[in-house]
Amino acid sequence: MGATWVYAEVTPDGVHPSALELLTKARALGGEVEAVALGPGATGAASELGAHGAGIVYASDDQTFADQPGRTAAHTLHWLISQHTPSLILFPGTYEGRDVAGCLQALTGSTLMANATDVESSSRARTEIFGGTKIVEVDLAGREPRLVLVRPKSFPAEPSGGTAEVVAVDAVTPPGPTATVVERHAEAASGPKLEEANVVVAGGRGLGGPEPFAMLDDLAAAIGGAAVGASRAAVDAGWVPYAYQVGQTGKTVKPEVYIAAGISGALQHVVGMKGAKRIVAINKDADAPILKIADLGVVGDLFQIIPALTEEVRRRASS
Amino acid sequence: MVAVVVFVRRARARMALLRAARPAARTAEVGARARRELVQVLGQRKLFQKALPGVMHACIFWGFLVLFPTIVEAILAIVDDGRSLPVIGQAPWFLFLVDLFATLVAVGIAIAFYIRKIQRPDRFRGSHMEEADKILLAILGIVTTLLLWNATKIALGQTAHPSAEPVANALSNLFGTGQPTETLERVFVWAHVLIVLGFLAYLPKSKHLHIITAAPNVYFAKNGPSGHLEKLEIDLEGPEEDIRFGVATGKDLSKKQLLDLFSCTECGRCQEVCPAWNTGKPLSPKLLIMDIRDAVAGIDPAAGEVELQPLVPNAVTDEVVWDCVTCGACMQECPVDIEHVDTIVDLRRNLVMAESRFPTEAGTMLRGVEGPNENPWSQPASARTDWIGDIPVRVLAPGDEAPEYLFWVGCAGAFDDRAKKTTQSVARLLNAAGVDWAVLGGRERCTGDPARRMGHEYLFQMLAEQNVATFAEAGITKVVATCAHCFNTLANEYPDYGATLEVVHHTELLSHLLAERKLLTTPGTRGTVTYHDACYLGRHNGRYDAPRDVLGSTGLATEEMERARERSFCCGAGGARMWMEEDGDARINDTRFAEAAGTGADTLAVACPYCFVMLDDAAKAAGSDMRVADVATLLAEAITADGDRPAT
Repeated sequence: MGATWVYAEVTPDGVHPSALELLTKARALGGEVEAVALGPGATGAASELGAHGAGIVYASDDQTFADQPGRTAAHTLHWLISQHTPSLILFPGTYEGRDVAGCLQALTGSTLMANATDVESSSRARTEIFGGTKIVEVDLAGREPRLVLVRPKSFPAEPSGGTAEVVAVDAVTPPGPTATVVERHAEAASGPKLEEANVVVAGGRGLGGPEPFAMLDDLAAAIGGAAVGASRAAVDAGWVPYAYQVGQTGKTVKPEVYIAAGISGALQHVVGMKGAKRIVAINKDADAPILKIADLGVVGDLFQIIPALTEEVRRRASS
Repeated sequence: MVAVVVFVRRARARMALLRAARPAARTAEVGARARRELVQVLGQRKLFQKALPGVMHACIFWGFLVLFPTIVEAILAIVDDGRSLPVIGQAPWFLFLVDLFATLVAVGIAIAFYIRKIQRPDRFRGSHMEEADKILLAILGIVTTLLLWNATKIALGQTAHPSAEPVANALSNLFGTGQPTETLERVFVWAHVLIVLGFLAYLPKSKHLHIITAAPNVYFAKNGPSGHLEKLEIDLEGPEEDIRFGVATGKDLSKKQLLDLFSCTECGRCQEVCPAWNTGKPLSPKLLIMDIRDAVAGIDPAAGEVELQPLVPNAVTDEVVWDCVTCGACMQECPVDIEHVDTIVDLRRNLVMAESRFPTEAGTMLRGVEGPNENPWSQPASARTDWIGDIPVRVLAPGDEAPEYLFWVGCAGAFDDRAKKTTQSVARLLNAAGVDWAVLGGRERCTGDPARRMGHEYLFQMLAEQNVATFAEAGITKVVATCAHCFNTLANEYPDYGATLEVVHHTELLSHLLAERKLLTTPGTRGTVTYHDACYLGRHNGRYDAPRDVLGSTGLATEEMERARERSFCCGAGGARMWMEEDGDARINDTRFAEAAGTGADTLAVACPYCFVMLDDAAKAAGSDMRVADVATLLAEAITADGDRPAT
């Protein structure tokens, strides 16, 4: 059996965690484990890949991989395969992983299995269907290398303590027309993502309109590392975009602290935030259901409480 | 001859498609089917749901039934001048009927043009208007030539009873007795027959094919409640190519679903009542059927293994498939019994089970239903009895004696704060009436209805089998449910999975208890109420009167909304829309609430927790002080307020 390769996705923040998970799995399969890392920062990531079991890292820091994603990586991989004949290549089920694997399969004509949750060998893998209620064993047939897209977070990443030999590769330019990068725009990310924030400040119908959300922005900024959310009522009313929505049909958040201002606590909302460690509710209605699940409930006027709270947070932060 | 050949060839192409389609189990209960033919086809019942178009269509339809022999007569007259049908051909009563109905058909055409050209209702948007004009003109041509032909025969003295044909007799004054009239007589009879034959050849490719397909389509329609979705057999052990998850391509449609497509006349009655279309969404039941029909028309069943394009998104978009609230208003209106909702659910089944493609936000519900807690909100099973508080309630433990009625609380009734009030009211009323009842508590799980309406049939079937087993183990025979969706699923769909239950909705049981005088109210004047019919209680199951009877006994004055009973307008939560975000010009719940508020009533009564949540949200969004409450809560108040009988 030839080597097992892992396609290691390189992001501006370094190697994608999925690569380390896949390397850990690849080690368990036995045989040689090697990684392919393409794009700016790839060589720098090699030591981390080596520490998780990659004996060789085929790396290129070429900017082309970032500018022309997908096809460039697939053609480069195709060339590498012709030189080294691996048996199995594991891809992460990320946007990039799916893009590259799909394109590569068109070049190799070999088997590509998507959405795997476990890999047993170069000829057998598993997937789950019907929401995880049935597990399907899949035999991988056809010529090698077989390509498997694995769902991220299927395995834990465990270091092996090894080191990798870095083999530099050149980018292979795909045939046919290519796109030219004219301009780049980075999405202005203000504060952490709603799902990842340690503190969420959320507003509901009690805010009465879009303007008072500025008050919540101030509080979130004063706390630092906090994100602003909203109930469905506030989103439906058009006060804030759908991206703010926390609840059954919005985002599910599990912050350390969740501050619910003017949110009554309908089941639809509670489903999305009940995993918060501490819930603080501010509501003028003492019967609001949110007060039943809150660790700290304040019955009062949020238009007085929120600015006062913001002031106090600022004062303590500066002292 | 040519016309007949063209007709046969074109009709055979459609028949071949039908023969190749999946069978539909729609042959049992011949009596009910025959009755539907009588009432709905011959009696035109559903057409009369709209008055003027009903009269228009009945004139033309009944006209053609009567005039059918005259087509034979005209053909005979061409072959052998002067010959007519035996027995009826010269009978005065027959001549009179022909004269009358030929005139009525012409009147019907005039009404049709009035509707189409002057009234121009929005329901025709997207329909083929020119094709309809051609067909109507052809029909007008058929009856005009018939009347003129008869008139020339009168003028020529060839008719024994001219007075039996007042219209043709009057027209006969236009003609003399000489040679020109004899020529005209030939011209009219030939024109008559040629238009009829041309019509015949045109028919199979046109939307007017319904004159052939409508009767069988009505015959093969679903018997029983429209809320009953047919069981989808999922055989994961069988050969791979036999595994079907609903409808992916035109080849997966059943014979009935295909017949639906060929029966649509694009009248748009469905479009006119569709909550999605009426709030600015792309879904129109009419356009859905037309788009699938156009996609299917290109299939050649003889071509063998051809890779067909999936219907979604090629014929209809994903959005259209997910816009549907499965309220059944389209099916209620459809004069030819097209089953739009069943086809939409079949499309969803394929998207969800084969492609895992559905609005992301609904994933939380599906994960909750299939997760360890088996409810859409992922609440712990132990919280299912949190509503009880200090109300005396028997919670069935395994091995306990079965009660007369199992109160199926439902997930909303157990977890949603608003729906819990309904649950508590029903519990108090059952206690007050001395009913022997109990709940399953933590052993209850979702009926699977939201998953099923989403298209996740597999998940639904697992839950159904588990719940049916729980009922059997607990010895349950009668169930009362407050949720219209639970009610529909338990009553209509669980029998397919082995349940033998008598299922009633709480409004029915309360109405019965009031009639038996086990619950007594002292009517007072407590304001006005308007009642919102839940789709899965009313339209899908015909329960209109019980909730109104209960309200009638509370002393509240009732105001009906314009769209009530079978014409009720959905709250927007059906078809698993409860679990999806809504886009478009307007929200369905806001639209419905505005209508309720427009009655001037101070209370909006509901009979389903989904309607409760949707309409109460709309009331809050509108800043209205109209109260939304369940029928049971209003009854409980009428009992306790007057102290006639304690409620607990």
